[in-house]
Amino acid sequence: MIDLRRSGLAFGAVMRRDLHVFLSYRTRIVSQVLTSVFSLTLFYYVSRLVHVSGFPSPASYFGFVVVGIALVSVLYSCFSISEMVRQELVAGTFERLLLSPFGAIRSVLAMTLFPLLYAFLLAAITLGLGCAVFGLQLHWSTVPLSVPAMALALFSFLPFGLLFAALTVATKQGSVGTSWVIALISIVGGLYFPISLLPEWAQTASELQPFTPATELLRHLLVDSPLHTSTVTAIAKLIGFAAVLLPASLFALHHAIRVGQRRGTIIEY
Amino acid sequence: MTLHSLQETASVAEPPALAPVGRGVSSPVPADDAIPLTLRGVHKRWHKSQAPVLEGLDLTLDLGTTTWVGGRNGAGKTTLLRIAAGLIDPDRGRAQVWGFTAAENRARYQQLLSFLPAGDRGLYARLTVRRQLRFWAHIAMLEPAQVKTRVEETIGAFDLEELADRRVDRISMGQRQRVRIAMTFLARPEVVLLDEPLTSLDAEGAEILERAIAELMARQGTLLWCSPSGESLDRHFDARWVLSDGRLVEA
Repeated sequence: MIDLRRSGLAFGAVMRRDLHVFLSYRTRIVSQVLTSVFSLTLFYYVSRLVHVSGFPSPASYFGFVVVGIALVSVLYSCFSISEMVRQELVAGTFERLLLSPFGAIRSVLAMTLFPLLYAFLLAAITLGLGCAVFGLQLHWSTVPLSVPAMALALFSFLPFGLLFAALTVATKQGSVGTSWVIALISIVGGLYFPISLLPEWAQTASELQPFTPATELLRHLLVDSPLHTSTVTAIAKLIGFAAVLLPASLFALHHAIRVGQRRGTIIEY
Repeated sequence: MTLHSLQETASVAEPPALAPVGRGVSSPVPADDAIPLTLRGVHKRWHKSQAPVLEGLDLTLDLGTTTWVGGRNGAGKTTLLRIAAGLIDPDRGRAQVWGFTAAENRARYQQLLSFLPAGDRGLYARLTVRRQLRFWAHIAMLEPAQVKTRVEETIGAFDLEELADRRVDRISMGQRQRVRIAMTFLARPEVVLLDEPLTSLDAEGAEILERAIAELMARQGTLLWCSPSGESLDRHFDARWVLSDGRLVEA
């Protein structure tokens, strides 16, 4: 119980640290909000320029893509963990975390908190701007349900960030692959267009990762897009992915650290 | 923390009651669980084509003693400290604090031992000194009610009042070293490992370090200090060793 309380406070301390570091770069949030504004503007005009099959109106495609844009920021946050771990390795703080009673694994888990909360905020800002500036129609009766759905989605996305963190500990350059992985996910996860446009094999592949059910579920709750499966099936898929991938990714991280300690490469950066 | 209070809190290896020993004087062949830090038969080779950097190294640090290990550059002093700290594993042999290894109970091992690595790394550049110390106090899992007091005490003890609200990237190298040393002593560890602690320190900083070591000795702590053989050190150590060809020889 004592350990739980102290662990909770240590998790909080990591989050506060990340907040203070974030706030010390004063223009960062402005730049990220501007990115959202320009993405929304781009897709607002694309939705009016091109008739997308399967969507009854330009507004329905715009609603579809705004949720995708909001999720991209969440994806970037999940994958940013590997870059954070790399910075800790370079600064020599990772070895201090490893040599602390709190330990490296819990520290890496704690490092995910601020970026994910920030991604929540950015997603909310994106949706808010979509409503206020571009006339996005949210399905308000189910919007509150999108919060637990998003939390569930995060649990199923997080293992990918942790796997890249493990890769960073092992190779010291795990973040190199994150950009193309996010690009790939945005294609097979249907973030910008429906997966029904993809070849059949790619549609099958899109069922093998949690991003498709998460995106579909959130679209259903936020802009009332039709679900290809039932809500229960989408939730069950996300729970299943999280239950399998989360322990596996934590094991991979633990293994990468232990191998680094055995070989002595944990001190390299 | 006294030996008595350590016995009350140790969850894995409770040190047995020992008769008080004089500085640098070992009780007759005590068991490893009665010794703050032991290294037994430690081997480490960085590459197959290279000679081992540590070859069957043995070291025992008694309660309330200070030990210096010197050696030329590349002799393996930092490797020795990293193994003792639980940062890297030896190829063979073991490092134990009060008779248990880091693998057996990492959290407890790291509660009892603190390591100051050489160099100027291990700080968050964008945090103020006070926030840095508060962060590491929580990561050290200190009693929540003690965190604020301990941080303020540390700021006072290491003469960091003027720097407390300044960001680490805006203070000098010597001041950063003082912060790093303050972080090392923050959680009041039983065993302290220092790798070239005088780097960038001025006379005042060195004096502050001496005070911290005196406080450690007053509570029967144990110190291992590594630095190159050429460095002039006019302080007293209970034992002095030189690391040469992977083994320790008396200096």
